[in-house]
Amino acid sequence: MSAQPPAGEALLAVDDISLSFGGVRALADVSFDVRQGEIRAIIGPNGAGKSSMLNVINGVYHPQQGTVRFRGETRRRVDPHRAAANGIARTFQNIALFKGMSVLDNIMTGRNLKMRATLFEQAIYVGRNRREELAHRAKVEEIIDFLQIEHIRKTPVGRLPYGLQKRVELARALAAEPTLLLLDEPMAGMNVEEKQDMCRFVLDVNEEFGTTIVLIEHDMGVVMDISERIVVLDYGRKIADGSPEEVRANPAVIDAYLGVAH
Amino acid sequence: MQFFFEVLIGGLLAGVMYSLVALGFVLIFKASGVFNFAQGAMVFFAALVFVTLQEKLAAPFWLAFALTLAVMVLVGILTERVVLRPLVNQPPISLFMATIGLAFFIEGAAQLVQLWAFRDISPRPLALGFQDAPFDWLLGEFNMMVSRFDAFAALVAGALVAALAVFFNKTRVGRALRAVADDHQAALSVGIPLKYIWAIVWSVAGFVALVAGLMWGARSGVQFALTLVALKALPVLILGGFESIAGAIVGGLIIGAAEKLAEVYLGPHVGGGIEGWFAYVLALLFLLVRPEGLFGEKHIDRV
Amino acid sequence: MFYREAGQFRTSYAADQQLFPIRQDRLALLALLALAFVGVPLAANDYWFTAILIPFLVFALAALGLNILTGYAGQLSLGSAAFMAVGAVAAYNFELRVPGLPLLASFILAGACAALVGVAFGLPSLRIKGFYLAVATLAAQFFIPWLLVKVGWFSNYSSSGVITAQPMEILGYVFDTPAEKYLLVLTVVALLALAAKNMVRSAVGRAWMAVRDMDVAAEVIGIPIMRTKLTAFAVSSFYCGVAGALYAYAYVGTVQPEDLNLDLSFRILFMVIIGGVGSILGSFLGAAFITLLPIYLEVLLTFLAHEFNLNLAPGTTSMVQLLVFGALIVFFLIVEPLGLARLWQIAKEKLRLWPFPH
Repeated sequence: MSAQPPAGEALLAVDDISLSFGGVRALADVSFDVRQGEIRAIIGPNGAGKSSMLNVINGVYHPQQGTVRFRGETRRRVDPHRAAANGIARTFQNIALFKGMSVLDNIMTGRNLKMRATLFEQAIYVGRNRREELAHRAKVEEIIDFLQIEHIRKTPVGRLPYGLQKRVELARALAAEPTLLLLDEPMAGMNVEEKQDMCRFVLDVNEEFGTTIVLIEHDMGVVMDISERIVVLDYGRKIADGSPEEVRANPAVIDAYLGVAH
Repeated sequence: MQFFFEVLIGGLLAGVMYSLVALGFVLIFKASGVFNFAQGAMVFFAALVFVTLQEKLAAPFWLAFALTLAVMVLVGILTERVVLRPLVNQPPISLFMATIGLAFFIEGAAQLVQLWAFRDISPRPLALGFQDAPFDWLLGEFNMMVSRFDAFAALVAGALVAALAVFFNKTRVGRALRAVADDHQAALSVGIPLKYIWAIVWSVAGFVALVAGLMWGARSGVQFALTLVALKALPVLILGGFESIAGAIVGGLIIGAAEKLAEVYLGPHVGGGIEGWFAYVLALLFLLVRPEGLFGEKHIDRV
Repeated sequence: MFYREAGQFRTSYAADQQLFPIRQDRLALLALLALAFVGVPLAANDYWFTAILIPFLVFALAALGLNILTGYAGQLSLGSAAFMAVGAVAAYNFELRVPGLPLLASFILAGACAALVGVAFGLPSLRIKGFYLAVATLAAQFFIPWLLVKVGWFSNYSSSGVITAQPMEILGYVFDTPAEKYLLVLTVVALLALAAKNMVRSAVGRAWMAVRDMDVAAEVIGIPIMRTKLTAFAVSSFYCGVAGALYAYAYVGTVQPEDLNLDLSFRILFMVIIGGVGSILGSFLGAAFITLLPIYLEVLLTFLAHEFNLNLAPGTTSMVQLLVFGALIVFFLIVEPLGLARLWQIAKEKLRLWPFPH
């Protein structure tokens, strides 16, 4: 296994990532790094390639060019399963929960990687499997507590309102106890109170568990408030990289958002 | 050598018959994205209604044809109303299973009609005027047996395909159908009346089912086994792509030829009976190599 | 009034994870088991055992297998009967060629053989989905019975083509009366149903449902898609294989792969749809429904024929059966896609409130 870099060092680095779909260029020569323990935001106008960038990081898309370096290991093609095993978890823009299962079961799937009981042991249930199930259930309940969703734990996920579904998705990502958490528009579609709650959760996760967070977000207030450094993408290219103050004052960024042609 | 050609041509012509049935699938899939498992049952039903009208009520060909077509259109419209519309928001697999249920329903209904009309379920002969006899001059010149009926079937299929191609590509209605197949919302927003379109689609599919039913019925008698032909259309579609009319033809030819050749050349080595599964295994192997079929389009999923 | 949970608190996760957390459910289950194991053998006659109960249990097991594959893991299969055929032929060969092999071991090995074949035909599921996969399973359904019949070794080169299953014997005790066969089948099916329920509420069951609901997301959280799908095929085919062995040994008494055909595969699929996809209970409800329906229809039609003096041609019942099956499938898919099991759940919820309306 690769070593964990100390806080402040680069946990994740993407180098010269270029990604195309057929004739469409999604990302072009994008490079940036993410330090251990920081909250990094990726922002940019619609279609800038932000979600694609996250997909490259955890292996859902394979770039034509460039590499991803995570925890010392460099790869072009990341396999999503290995990314998960290495400690990367994420949420999706359009909620990717398992609609046929309850909240509790959804979050428990986040622990599947850590379960060791064999098929036969699961079929018998009593013994090792039961112990494992209960141990992991206890851990999952901690997360349910943390995100304040106890009252809906047995509800089928499909019946929940949008804001709560987002929270359950976050819970499922947290269940894996990830080193790096990728959040794709975690506050989309939420009202002010829900956003405040979500911000608090994100900050708590970062402070209490030391989880490094990369998030895509459109709400500038949120981004400026909680992120330590920001990457700005436009038309698949990186146009700015720095602290919130630097990015806010950057003319290229202002132009991109105002839609000035370049 | 000429035995090989004989078998090959026989297989190709048999394949044309498969294509006829596959065309019905393609039509409905193209226009509504639904894989209509009941197409085979509809072929059987159409043939049966035709034969019943012809024999029991002594209707002349054109009248029987017209009436049967009307019945098929009705069946199509009812199917769309009663089965498909309530399920419009369900995942495609539910729609597919619903058409399986529909297939059983129509099969049961068809056989009840057969029992009521003819008191037994043995194959009913259907005469179309072309015998299953070989072309004499081919027999004389090249010593090859090519059935007249099979050639007639090929002509009919060809004409049907040409007509459908023109319909889809050159007429306004055809364009509307293709628009609906692509994107319902977009089609609605340019003013295409969806309900009308469904009615037309199912009517055309019913027409195709009727033609296929007549051809198959004339070839092997109108019987329940016709529904199994529908299952054979599945490998055809896999080879040709579910959305391509050309694919249905090419796929049918390939499956028909491959099946016959396998039966004749491989069959004796393994004790025969290959025709039962060869087409499916071929389709399976093909799926692993090129899932979208020869003429189909690759799907790119957005995450 | 009767079905109240008030006062039943679960104070530990262990208590919450129980199969039947509510006391009334536990009592009901005990009553059902008592009825099944004790009451029925005392009360039922041979006809009930051979024509209704044993086939119900055998098909319930096959439906359970298919439900695991299609209902829980979301992989549509039209080939369940083919895997039953593998199980039947394999059990026969194990019994025949391995002297002294215990009967239950033969059944388990037969299931294992079916599982291997299932995995082989399940490999395409790694590249194709939905009804493309259904076509692949059709290939299995047509090819396997053909192979089992063609290769003489499987049927011990029997010239008549009819292979009689050996009598079932465990530790010297021969199970030959219908009641004994029923109890044997009941035990096997009950144990396998319990195992299925356990798997479904453990990690593997969650992995199956995740793959069914959204496989991209499942992959991203680390669920191994290939292994999960193949495990579903393996377990499902194992269950169908054992069902096939029971079919041959306890139900029809002969080993005839041609009988385990596409028609039966459809029937099992119907049991799953009507009974409830993704539900263990549903497999049993669906099997009961489909097993009893033809009998009920026969009775009804005979009655109607008498009453209205209809002259029904022979074979009418099976046609009407097709009609009714088809209509029911469509009906359930539209009205209650989660089948009888969901209707049962709704009934229980209403029962909780009874006699109050809400």
